[in-house]
Amino acid sequence: MRILEKARLRLRSLFGRPRADFELDEELRFHLDQLSEENVAAGMPPEEARRAAQRAMGGIAQYKEECRDMRRVNLIEDFVQDLRYAIRSLAKSPGFTAIVVATLALGIGANTAIFTIVHGVLLRPLDYPKPDRLVYLTAESAATGGTQSALSAAEYREFRQMSRSFTAVGAYSTGGAAYTTGEVNLSAGERPVRVRSISADAQLFEALGIPPQQGRLFRDEETSRWTGTLPPPIAILSDRLWRTAFGGRPVVGQKVGIEGRPHEIVGIMPPGADLMDHHPEVWLPLWLHPNMASERGAHVLYAVGRLKEGITFEAARTELSAFVENWGGRTGTKEHVPSNRWLSPADHTLRLQTLQEAVAGSSSRPLWVLQAAAGFVLLIVCANLANLTMARAGSRKREFVLRAALGASRFRLIRQSVTESVVMSGAGGLLGVWLASVGVRALVRAYPGSLPRTDGLVAGLPVLLVTLGLSTGTALLFGLVSLGRGRTSGMVMALKEGGRGSSGAWRRYARRGLVIAQVAFAAVLAIGAALLAQTVYHLTRADAGFDRSRLATFSMTLPMATFEPDTRAQAYQRVLERLRPVPGVLATAAMSGLPPNRTADAIGTVFENHLPGDGRPSEIVDYYQLVMGDYFGTMGIPLIAGRGFEPTGNASQGKVAVVNETLAKRIWKGQDPIGRRLRPPGGWFGAGGAVWHTVIGVAKDVRQQGVDRPAGAEIYISLDQHGVAPPSMNVVMRTTLPTGALAGTIERVVREVDASVPVVGLRDMDSVFAESIRRPRLLARLLGAFAGLALLLAAIGTYGVLSYMVTERRREIGIRVALGAARLSVLTQILKQGLEVTALGAAVGVVGALAVNRLMASMLFGVQPADTVTIAVVMATILAVAVVASWVPAWRASRVDPSVVLRED
Amino acid sequence: MAKPTDFVQGTLDLLILKTISLEPKHGWAIAKRIQQVSKEALQIQQGSLYPALHRLEQQAWIKAEWRPAESGRMAKFYSLTRSGRKQLERELANWTRLSTAINIVIQEV
Repeated sequence: MRILEKARLRLRSLFGRPRADFELDEELRFHLDQLSEENVAAGMPPEEARRAAQRAMGGIAQYKEECRDMRRVNLIEDFVQDLRYAIRSLAKSPGFTAIVVATLALGIGANTAIFTIVHGVLLRPLDYPKPDRLVYLTAESAATGGTQSALSAAEYREFRQMSRSFTAVGAYSTGGAAYTTGEVNLSAGERPVRVRSISADAQLFEALGIPPQQGRLFRDEETSRWTGTLPPPIAILSDRLWRTAFGGRPVVGQKVGIEGRPHEIVGIMPPGADLMDHHPEVWLPLWLHPNMASERGAHVLYAVGRLKEGITFEAARTELSAFVENWGGRTGTKEHVPSNRWLSPADHTLRLQTLQEAVAGSSSRPLWVLQAAAGFVLLIVCANLANLTMARAGSRKREFVLRAALGASRFRLIRQSVTESVVMSGAGGLLGVWLASVGVRALVRAYPGSLPRTDGLVAGLPVLLVTLGLSTGTALLFGLVSLGRGRTSGMVMALKEGGRGSSGAWRRYARRGLVIAQVAFAAVLAIGAALLAQTVYHLTRADAGFDRSRLATFSMTLPMATFEPDTRAQAYQRVLERLRPVPGVLATAAMSGLPPNRTADAIGTVFENHLPGDGRPSEIVDYYQLVMGDYFGTMGIPLIAGRGFEPTGNASQGKVAVVNETLAKRIWKGQDPIGRRLRPPGGWFGAGGAVWHTVIGVAKDVRQQGVDRPAGAEIYISLDQHGVAPPSMNVVMRTTLPTGALAGTIERVVREVDASVPVVGLRDMDSVFAESIRRPRLLARLLGAFAGLALLLAAIGTYGVLSYMVTERRREIGIRVALGAARLSVLTQILKQGLEVTALGAAVGVVGALAVNRLMASMLFGVQPADTVTIAVVMATILAVAVVASWVPAWRASRVDPSVVLRED
Repeated sequence: MAKPTDFVQGTLDLLILKTISLEPKHGWAIAKRIQQVSKEALQIQQGSLYPALHRLEQQAWIKAEWRPAESGRMAKFYSLTRSGRKQLERELANWTRLSTAINIVIQEV
């Protein structure tokens, strides 16, 4: 209690200072009056009595000061005084203050913005109970280099049976199961909407540990018995869908149309319930077609597990590794099991990640690179500010010396200058936080989907604490740097020197060192940014294997409930036929997977007279492209050998297939593929049993899963020949019209075929490509901005040091000019000094870049981390900037008029 | 004229606390009272008294309030707080222990 009381007293002393001073005056005056009254009583005349009393009292001012000291708040009062003084002195040099605050705001803003993202995306715990116990199980494939690929249903079941490390292991699918695309048509009353969906089993909810907000979750028997031809008609809504589409009315137990079939709403998820950044709006029961469930090559499920208490992540990983070592032996199967030894490109293994790591996925490295870049920018900012403050301290030397001479202690002087930097970095920090919050919001809006977990991105407490630390750190750093000298012994000298002041050797070296460091950091950033810019250039120009100019595309899904495989094929054919005669449309076709961003199929396929090296019956083919219409002609995919599909696909003829170069090389190794036979598994795309297909052509490789990834093995099947189609297809049109001009016609055509089917994602192929490289582009832009900022700051630093040097050496230059030195030689001399510092910095920077940029290697495409041309161009740019920055001070030096300078003092 | 602080550190605090333990007094009265009771042996200087009072107040051992003095003028009266009373007991105990010890030393040698 006494502590509270004392705190109250301190606060009163601090804020009630006028009142406390007044009371002190009154108290002392009372004492004085008593004393003089006593004197009067002793017989003195009133005047003399008062004077005697005053003599006896002594120095009242001194008592007052002592009493104030007793209030123990002088430290704070001094700070307030320093603060006022700092603000006043900063206001007197608005240019300096503005530059410092703006530089700081940019440096701190960049760091806060990136850290907001790093924290929100990578560090923030996931929104589940005990999220650190959750792990993610996926496949990694040898051929496509694909990570985080799905598991087959058999693998999932086997893993659940074998593993002892988990309280629950569940699975989900966003495509490939009953609801194929991760989106479904949902009719809530009159208007159908397209909503994001996820198919999950009961164990998944158990593993995640999220209870429903209303109703119930799925039961085990609803999601694990994959019988019949369609999944059980039940659904769980997300909180948002429930509020937007149903107005928050009680809907549990009611029916809603999903993919043309009434589903019962059994529950509603709590707000914000998400999985792997998929943002499902409707959760559907996991269900696989029996063909799919038994096909080991069909990778369709992702698994999430919750570790048992006391089992570490490492232990679970070791357990998995032991399973993979002898998966076939444990499960009694030989065909397509995960393995640690990759013998053929079709092999795969299983990988365990923490769910947190998995969500961040490949965004983790770019984000840390950006964070490091932002850190570099802040270091450059600090170096620049240290330089600026040093220059200012030089010109304020007399002021400080005078104050020291008048009795200010060294500690007090340090505090004064630290206070000034605290004020500036405080202002810079506030401005920076504001810039960061605006910037992050703008980034998230400008690059949707390029980063996971962006919906909850706010500069929360941890971010603000880091920013506070950064501001304080910078304040101390450049506040103290300016005091690097200033021993009292040098003070007399400083006073004598007058305004001329020359800086000591230490300061000169320090300032040059700071500029070298700035240039070095700027060079590292600029080289990194240049490499990424080239990566983006190569990605945009990369040949994906087809002609993407003037190509429009959209996708549509024909529900399984209202369509059969053959009626679907007829419907898609009708859509293509009606689009073909539209003026401006040159050719149309349809395909199952849209390059360059589709997922892998990895389907076991039998090749005639060919045995895979490990004795398995089938080879895994990475991609199957099921096409309709004149596919190769419309897409502009060149055929290297043989021919494409004939438009008159006759169902009675022998089935034909086209393969890509990679597959031809992998299977037939240079022998002629035409006429060879292969057998896809029956049933999975709606066709009947497994039948032999004859290879009629070899197509050029098309990048299916990212233009920077190697093309996998691919087989093209003509659906026209089979007369069936999967639920979802992508339609492409080669057209002379802009995509927007076609929208109305396409809507009409699709509505004519089926009014309940929406047209999804109508755009031109160029935007499909732009989407696929959104993240590298974001990274390149941000790093480019940082590098630009760094170059600018380094230029300012170089300029600052040189102009300070020129000012300092005016007299010397004046004398030299008076003695006959040519102005040109003065100019080149100063220029040379600037370039020397820059060249040294750039050289250090290149060494640093060679060391650091290896970390970026995985983010680059089409360019090596140590690309000499890039480094040379960046060096040239930096030197050019340095020439510009040095020119002004050098020119000023060459203009020095000896008759003026020598008369100055 | 010895200042109380001259002989034993902290004695002034003890004297002040003891003096106002019976009834609230203003600064002048405290000085007078100590002077009278000590038979003019202890002269408290204003230079020590008021800083000491302010220090004790900041420690929350004494509290002050303005009320009319005997003359009718407003004066700042100091009185003990609860924690001040405890502090007085502590200081008294300290003092007793210290003076006893000093006495023993003086008598022994």
